[in-house]
Amino acid sequence: MKRPVVTSFTRFTRRHALLALSATALAPAQAQDIVEAPAPMRFPRDHGAHLDARTEWWYITGQLQAPSLKAPVGFQITFFRSRVEPAQGNPSAMAAKHLIMAHVALSDPTAQRQWHEQRLARAGLGLSEVSTEDTAVHLRDWSLSRQNAAEGSRYTARIQAQAFGLDLSLTSTQRVLLQGDEGISRKGPQAGHFSHYYSQPQLAVQGQLTRKDSATQQPLAVTGRAWLDHEWSDAYLPQGAAGWDWIGMNLQNGSALMAFRMRRADGSTLWAGGTFRAPGRAAQTFPAGEVHFKPGRTWQSPATGARYPVQWSVETPAGRFEVRARFDAQELDAHQSTGTVYWEGLSALLDAQGREVGSGYLEMTGYAGTLSL
Amino acid sequence: MQGEARVLWALLGQFSWQELRHHALRHGTAMLAVLLGVALAFSVHLINESALSEFSAAVRSVNGQADLSLRAASGGLSEGVYAQVARDPRVKLASPVIEVQTLARDAQGKRHPLKLLGMDAMVSGPLSPQLLPQLAKGVDRFDIFAPDSVFLNARAQRLFNVKPGETLQVQTGLAFKKLRVVGSVAGGNEALGLMDIGSAQATLGTLGQITRVDVQLTAGAQAAQVLAELKLPAGVVADTASDATQRVSNVSRAYRVNLTVLALVALFTGGFLVFSILSLSVAKRQQQLALLGVLGLSSRERLTLVLAESGLMGVVGSVLGLGLGTALAAMALRLLSGDLGGGYFPGITPSLHWSPWAALLYGLLGVLAAMLGGWVPARTAQRLAPAQALKGLGDATGQGGWPWLGPLMMLLGLGLAQLPAVNGVPLWAYLSVAALLMGGIISVPTVVGAVLQRLPEPRQPAALLALERARRMRHTATVAMAGVVASLSLSVALTVMVGSFRGSVTQWLDTILPADLYARATSGGGNSSEALHFDPALLTRLSQLPGVTRLHGLRITSLSLNPQLSEVALISRPLKQPEKNLPLVGALVPAQAGLVGIYVSEAMVDLHGARVGQALALPLRPGQPPVRALVRGVWRDYARQQGAILIDEDDYRRLTGDTRINDVALWLAPGSRTDQVEAAIRQVASQQGLAGELIEFAEPRQIRETTLRIFDRSFAVTYWLQAVAIGIGLFGTAASFSAQVLARRKEFGLLSHLGFTRAQILSTVGAEGLALSSVGALLGLGLGLAVSVVLVKVVNPQSFHWTMDLLLPWGRLGLLCGGVILAGTLTALLAGRHAAGRDAVMAVKEDW
Repeated sequence: MKRPVVTSFTRFTRRHALLALSATALAPAQAQDIVEAPAPMRFPRDHGAHLDARTEWWYITGQLQAPSLKAPVGFQITFFRSRVEPAQGNPSAMAAKHLIMAHVALSDPTAQRQWHEQRLARAGLGLSEVSTEDTAVHLRDWSLSRQNAAEGSRYTARIQAQAFGLDLSLTSTQRVLLQGDEGISRKGPQAGHFSHYYSQPQLAVQGQLTRKDSATQQPLAVTGRAWLDHEWSDAYLPQGAAGWDWIGMNLQNGSALMAFRMRRADGSTLWAGGTFRAPGRAAQTFPAGEVHFKPGRTWQSPATGARYPVQWSVETPAGRFEVRARFDAQELDAHQSTGTVYWEGLSALLDAQGREVGSGYLEMTGYAGTLSL
Repeated sequence: MQGEARVLWALLGQFSWQELRHHALRHGTAMLAVLLGVALAFSVHLINESALSEFSAAVRSVNGQADLSLRAASGGLSEGVYAQVARDPRVKLASPVIEVQTLARDAQGKRHPLKLLGMDAMVSGPLSPQLLPQLAKGVDRFDIFAPDSVFLNARAQRLFNVKPGETLQVQTGLAFKKLRVVGSVAGGNEALGLMDIGSAQATLGTLGQITRVDVQLTAGAQAAQVLAELKLPAGVVADTASDATQRVSNVSRAYRVNLTVLALVALFTGGFLVFSILSLSVAKRQQQLALLGVLGLSSRERLTLVLAESGLMGVVGSVLGLGLGTALAAMALRLLSGDLGGGYFPGITPSLHWSPWAALLYGLLGVLAAMLGGWVPARTAQRLAPAQALKGLGDATGQGGWPWLGPLMMLLGLGLAQLPAVNGVPLWAYLSVAALLMGGIISVPTVVGAVLQRLPEPRQPAALLALERARRMRHTATVAMAGVVASLSLSVALTVMVGSFRGSVTQWLDTILPADLYARATSGGGNSSEALHFDPALLTRLSQLPGVTRLHGLRITSLSLNPQLSEVALISRPLKQPEKNLPLVGALVPAQAGLVGIYVSEAMVDLHGARVGQALALPLRPGQPPVRALVRGVWRDYARQQGAILIDEDDYRRLTGDTRINDVALWLAPGSRTDQVEAAIRQVASQQGLAGELIEFAEPRQIRETTLRIFDRSFAVTYWLQAVAIGIGLFGTAASFSAQVLARRKEFGLLSHLGFTRAQILSTVGAEGLALSSVGALLGLGLGLAVSVVLVKVVNPQSFHWTMDLLLPWGRLGLLCGGVILAGTLTALLAGRHAAGRDAVMAVKEDW
């Protein structure tokens, strides 16, 4: 459950951001008419790209640790694909039929700081490509790919950003987790609003982290846990939604928890959903009415003035949890590049008794006002 | 020293100012001459500087902060090169660009030039921030990538009167394509349309091709090393933004220098005028100066005083000249383009760049010219013997001089003319012209003496007197005739050069345009070959039209042989009998097996060292090894100063696979009517779904007329300069005659006492004027012819890389000389009339 693809040009303005979002918001009207039974997911085909879908993303969040690190650091690697309808008929190999966007971020609770970078390019000429056969996407020299492994899947991510570098191998420890109804995840009251959505929770991470602001700039060997979402959709954001709240959590006992809600401008819930899966058990899909997000302590961004709840109480059929940001300042103020502002950060998961039971990412969009359509 | 300066100022205020006030017109003319010279030279300089800096700014705004640009030596660049370059880790940013000059149609159907750019806005931003698309309100963001979307800059929106949401018709090939205006773009000085690069390929029909790749390297990467290791396919050339500016600077340098030299000629004649006016004024004030001398003004102070007068005239003239020059430049930049119609700065409208240092330089030049002119009169004032002069006897102009100096300088001039150009500027040739002129002027007394010595003794006393006086006082002839000789020789030189050029161009046009009718896809000017062309199928249909006996196509593309130099034109056409169909210079060498025969223009020889019989490597097709070609002959081309290569059509098509055509030459059956053929051709084009109205036709007669009209228009400025030069020269002569005649008042008074009537005295003066003017005219003619030979045979080939035949327009030259003789004689008479008046009788008494 991630934000819609927001494409950017270097001189991106607030107006552009609105236009970008309105493109996605236009979708509901059309989506109502096209309600057909989607085909069940088949792998490895569905690890690859679905070029007919309007938007698609591979989204990895997780945490990394090393003996020299005081606390685990969070990371995010995302590749978006966006289909450009007007360019589809163009015979040119340089035509921008699909745009690829990548977004990477690093959250350091010790320094209470977050770094993020973005890229955008058209697919083509071998410079930036996305495969339809398996997960294999690269944007110039940033790449993510998947191979079959004994455990299921092994992903390789290579990112060399200005501030940091990630060279990671992410191996699955569990089966693929199909979200919603066999991979069909409803997003709103209308049947047409859904996405194809599966997750790879509890990915075992091994690799190297390079901090380019450090004195040595030596690669640091790291291990960790991560979560991968692959989602594609034609109609994503339902009418009336101002934004959403989402969590993707790896529990220490090997369970996986995903919950989201579509939020109206007044803060009420328009739609909600989620999944819980204990290791070796079948996934438990939450009905829309049984997931409740209750905001707790808030933090106001000094940069944008937006006020984000950085503590949440999330009630699900699998139990009541508390989500607590590892540190507050994890807002992505990307006015300069994408024009969007949201909060995406490393968080702790606590059970009803207040014990820390897991760790993962919390995402909140639509709080800085730019998402109000 | 301070006291001296005070005296000098006091004298300038009291003594010189009175003189100036009484003869305001005369001094004003001298100042005007300085003013004009400074104004012309300074405005030419300003215009060029402004255009050049504007051009480099334009290059920067298009190329942005690119470290280098990659282009194909000929034709388009494969998009694969972009992919290859962009992948290199040392390349920080690679931005592919398509740039095409074409035409677009406004709502009224009127066509205007439009530069069409194709770019990838997702990578071009950091390199060219002014060329980012700005979506109009309410347009879907993905419409940026729609194949028919275009962003127009403000200038284009005004020119075509379109707003976002409306459509614009853009010409590609022989058809119009409808594009949707979806927003605006900031950059560009000319009308500019920006498209997504993929859309541009589709619209222009150049799939797989781009124009260039702009590259920014990572910090520390060396351009040369990266280029070497990239191993780009053959035929890909790299250049930097400074290369482009350098190229334009190189191209326009000769033109610029020529204009500046013409302007300096005006300044030169201005100096002469100051000389003449001050000579006159010193002669008239001889007694006053002598009185000052007696009162204690030292000879050095007299020199300083007259020099200061000339300097002041120079300062006033220069300051006004700088103002006028600035105004002229501002006006020229607004009305004409930055190159005064020379066509070297494509598509820019520069704003004025005023530099105080240049102003100081040109101002000083004006003052210097005036003070040089004032030197001889100042020396006269210095050498004045006060006692003698008070009695009116001080004709102190007599000086021996060095009789060999003039001929020596002329010899030096001849020697200098043999030297090659310096950095594309015929510097030595200009110095040679200067040496010839100076030498010629210094030689005036010698030549006058030599010529007059040979004349038979006249019987008539007045004529005898005139001849004897002219013979014996011939040093004064220098003063009187120098201006005439200088201006006449310049006029003769320019007349001969322009005449030769015009004659050669006319002959060249006859050879180069053998067909009856020419057709071409309307061009927007500039590099239009990619967007506007015929295709071969249409050609086949045209050849079957009734009335057309035969036709051939012309394909004109460009080829980059050296990134430091401008691209050369590559022209392909059937070349079965080159010796008959080409304006060849020199002989042909036979074809050689294994080498493609080519014919190069003269500029190719000078700029690229392509000599007859030599093999050249032509990068005709990117990605393939260069083609080995043999230079079989050299031809004269007045159209493309940067060089042109002619290649046979069959060879060209075989080597490049390019079958498109820019121009078609048609031979018509006798009796067929041109307008009917034209209509038929348009109809055939329209039947094939093309815009037949886009075809332009021209008949050789029409082309000739147009060409010569343009020619005459661009040389009109030289006719004006000639007129100004001759006017100034004659004015100088008049002033000199007046000066001498005034100084000779006593002589005339004596003649009156001896019984000479006023008429007789006047005829003596007139005859003197005639004799001197005739010799001056003769000398000016000879000198002018010598200078014209230097201009035609040295300056032009060195500046523009073309030769021409020396043609002498005798009629015009005769008129020029006759006019100068007549004007000189009349001037002498007028001056004499003034001096031989009643007071001449009294003048004899001045002794007392």
